[in-house]
Amino acid sequence: MSTPVLETQGITMRFGGLVAVNNFSLQLGATDLVGIIGPNGAGKTTIFNMITGIYTPTEGRVFLDGKDITELRPAHITQSGICRTFQNIRLFKDLSVLDNIRLAGHFRVDYGVMSSIFRTKQYHVEEARLVQEADKLLDIFGLKSKKDHLAKNLPYGEQRRLEIARALATKPKVLLLDEPAAGMNPKETADLTKLIRWVRDEFQIAILLIEHDMSLVMNVCEHIHCVDYGQLIASGGPKDIQSNPKVIEAYLGADAVAETK
Amino acid sequence: MDYLIYLTIQSGIFIILAVSLNLINGICGQFSLGHAGFWAVGAYVGAAYSVFAPLPVPDFVNLFIGCGLGFTAAAIAGLAIGVPCLRLRGDYLAIATLGFGEIIRIIIMNMDAVGGPRGFTGIPAWSNFFWVYLWVIITIVFVVNLLRGTHGRAIISIREDEIAAESMGIYTFKYKVMAFAVGAGFAGVAGVLFAHTTQFIHPNSFNFMWSVIILLMIILGGLGSVTGAVVGAVILSILPELLRFFGETVSEWRMVIYSMLLICLMLMRPSGIFGKHELDIKKLLGMKKGDA
Amino acid sequence: MSEETAYLISDFFTYLLNGVAQGSIYALIALGYTMVYGIIKLINFAHGEFYMIGAFIGYFLISSGLPLYIALPAAMIGSGLVAVSVERLVYRPIRYAGRIPALITALGTSLFFQYLGQGTIGADPKAFPTAFENTTYQVGDVFISKIQIVIFLVTMVLMTGLWYVVTHTKIGKAMRATSFNMNAAELMGINTNRIVSFTFFVGASLAGAAGVLVGMYYNTVEPMMGLIPGLKAFIAAVLGGIGIIPGAVLGGLTLGIAENMVVGFWISTYRDAVAFAILILILLVKPAGLLGTNRKEKV
Repeated sequence: MSTPVLETQGITMRFGGLVAVNNFSLQLGATDLVGIIGPNGAGKTTIFNMITGIYTPTEGRVFLDGKDITELRPAHITQSGICRTFQNIRLFKDLSVLDNIRLAGHFRVDYGVMSSIFRTKQYHVEEARLVQEADKLLDIFGLKSKKDHLAKNLPYGEQRRLEIARALATKPKVLLLDEPAAGMNPKETADLTKLIRWVRDEFQIAILLIEHDMSLVMNVCEHIHCVDYGQLIASGGPKDIQSNPKVIEAYLGADAVAETK
Repeated sequence: MDYLIYLTIQSGIFIILAVSLNLINGICGQFSLGHAGFWAVGAYVGAAYSVFAPLPVPDFVNLFIGCGLGFTAAAIAGLAIGVPCLRLRGDYLAIATLGFGEIIRIIIMNMDAVGGPRGFTGIPAWSNFFWVYLWVIITIVFVVNLLRGTHGRAIISIREDEIAAESMGIYTFKYKVMAFAVGAGFAGVAGVLFAHTTQFIHPNSFNFMWSVIILLMIILGGLGSVTGAVVGAVILSILPELLRFFGETVSEWRMVIYSMLLICLMLMRPSGIFGKHELDIKKLLGMKKGDA
Repeated sequence: MSEETAYLISDFFTYLLNGVAQGSIYALIALGYTMVYGIIKLINFAHGEFYMIGAFIGYFLISSGLPLYIALPAAMIGSGLVAVSVERLVYRPIRYAGRIPALITALGTSLFFQYLGQGTIGADPKAFPTAFENTTYQVGDVFISKIQIVIFLVTMVLMTGLWYVVTHTKIGKAMRATSFNMNAAELMGINTNRIVSFTFFVGASLAGAAGVLVGMYYNTVEPMMGLIPGLKAFIAAVLGGIGIIPGAVLGGLTLGIAENMVVGFWISTYRDAVAFAILILILLVKPAGLLGTNRKEKV
C-alpha cells in the first residue's frame, strides 16, 4: 500500500477520568471510502474532532500525507486538506447559499482588506473567480437555482447537500462526513448513497464517514471500523462486519449473539 | 439654528460610534460593552495632540492628523484588549470588555497631565459639520465595502457559527481581533471629533452608561444592520431633545425611558427596526426581487 | 523588631480586617449572582440594584426609628419581593431567547432601577442613620469596629442559613436538581418556575442584607451604589467559579482582601481597577474559577 493520505496513530481522548476514545488507529488511502460505526456515545464524533483539530488528542498523532497535523488549529487543518460536515448541520444560516460556498474558498482568496475597501481590480477579479467556482459546484449539487436563498430556508435534505458542497469547496483531500443521513427518509438516503460514491469518483478524494444508517454504510463503504466505548472492536469489509459477533453484541447486547448461534 | 447644527454634529458622532460598535457586536457577534472606553482613548489622544503638540499646519490638517492618531491609539487599545478577551465567549466577553472600559476611565482619571478628575479643557474647536460628516461617510463606506468582500464575509461567518467558520479554514480569532480593532479605531475617531466639538472632556463623559446607550442605538436599529445603526443613532440623538419639549421632568427621566425601551425591545422586537437587513433603494422600489 | 516592621504588621492586620468586612459584603451579593447563574445561566446585572433597594429600605426604616433587628429582615424581604417580580415580569418571558438577549434585558433592568431611584429619591447620597453606637475596640495595635463585628456575625448567620437550606431541605434539593438539569427536574415533577422564583428571592434578600450592612459601614446610600459592588460581586462569583455556592464566598473574601491590600500598600485610586484586573486574569487563566472544572463545548 502506498502512503496513506490520512493516518491516525493510537489517538486517545480523555475528558477528566472518562476515556472517550482509546488508542484508535486508522489508515486511509487516497481514494478510500471508509465508514466508522458504533452505538451512541461510542466516541465516533470525538474521533472526527481530534482529526479536525477541534480537540487535541491526549495521546497519539494524526498525519496528513505523512505530515504531522496533530497540534494544528482547525482552520489550518482545513487549509491543509481535511474538511468535514457536522452531525447537526452547521451552515451559516443567515447567509445565502452562494455566500456559504464562497466562505469555503476564503482562505484561497488573493486580495487584502484594503483591496476590498478601495475596490481594486484584484478584488473584482478574485470575487468573479469565487462566484464562478461556486456556481460550478452548486450546479453539480442541483442548488444553483437557489443560490440567493438564505441557507436556513432550504429544506432539510438540501441543507445536508449544501453542507457537503461547502466542504468540497475547500478542495479537500479527505472529506469527513458526520452522520450525513441523519434525519433522512429512505428515498433521500438512497440518493445520498449515490451522491457520496459519485463525489469520491468525481473529485478523487478519500471519504471517511460516521453513520448510524446501516443500509448506507453497507452500500457505500469499502471498509468499516466499528467502535464501542471508545475502543476499536472490529474492522473489515461490510460482509465481515455484518457477521462479526462483537459488532452484533455492541449493537444488540450479548443475548442477541447467543440467539444467533 | 446653531443648536440644530450642534444636534446634527452630535448625531454624526453617534453614527460613527454606532456603526463601529455594530461591526463588533452585530456583524462579528462579539458582544462588547466597553465601547465608551475606546471613544475616550480617541478623545484624549486627539485632544492631547491638539493642545500639546500641534504641527504648524492648517487646523483642518491637524484635525485630520488627530483623527489618525485617535484611530491608531484606540485600535491599539482594541488590540490590547481584544487579544486576551476575544477568547472568551458571549456573556463573559461582555463583562470583560465592560471591565476594560472602566479601567481605561480609571486610568484617565489618574492622569494629571490631561486634567485627571478635573477634566481636559482648552481643546480647540476645529471640528465642524463638514469634517464630522466626512468621517461618517468614511466609516460607513469602509464598513459596507468591507462586508462585501471576503474578509467581511469571514467576519460575519463568525457570528453565524464560529466552529463552522473555523472548519472552513477561516482563522476566526484573527478576524475577531480585526473587527474589534477596526471598530475600536473608528470609535477613537468619534472621540477626536467629539473632543474638538465640545472643547472640554471629562472621564465621566465616557462612562459605562454611554456604552449602554450606543448599544441601545444598534439594538434599536437592528443588530448587524449598518442602516439600522445609523437610524438608531439618529433616533437616540434626537429623542432627548424631543423629550425636552415635554418639560424638564420628562427629560430627567430620560434614562428610565431608555432602559424601558431596551427591555421592551428585547421582549417584543429583539431584531430591532431593520433586523439584519440593509436599506436597499432598488428593493424598495420593487425593481429587485430578493429572498431575504 | 523595628518600629517600622511593627507598624507594617499592625497595618497589615487592620487592612486584612477591612478586607474581610468588605469581602463578606461582596460574598453576600455574589451568592445571589452565582445562584441565579447556576439555575438559569443569566448574568443578572440588576442584582446590584437589589442590593441598593435593600439599602434604601434599611435607610427609611431605621430613619423612622425602627431597630436594626426589624429593619434588616424587612429589607431582605423587600429586596426579595422586588427580585421575584422582576423575574416574573421581565426575565421569565426572555428565558429561552439566548444568553445575550437575556443579558441585555438584565442590563436594561439595572439601569431602570438606578435611574428610577435617581428620579424619585434624588441622585445625591443620603446619610445613613446610626442604628447603634459604634465603638472601636483595640486588640494590640489592631483596630476593629463594632460594625465590622456585626457584619461578620450577620454574614456568618446568613451563610449558615443558606447552607442549611440548600443542603438539608426539600426545596434546597429541588434547587440543586434544577440547577443541574432544568428539564430533567421538570420531568421529575419539580415546579421549576417556583424554584427559580425562590432562588431570586433568596439571592436578592442576601443582597438586600448586604445593602443595609454597607449603609451602616460607610454611612451613605445612593441610587447608583449598586453598580460597582454589583460588578465586583459578579467578579467574585466568577473568581470562585460561577454557579458554585462556596466559590462565591471564597471569591468575595479574596477580592475584598486583595482590594484593601492594594488600597493600603499601593495606590488607593486603583481600587476599582484591581477587581477588573483580577477578572480578566481569572478568565484567561482559569475561566471556570478557582473551584470550577473546565468544560469543553460539545460539537
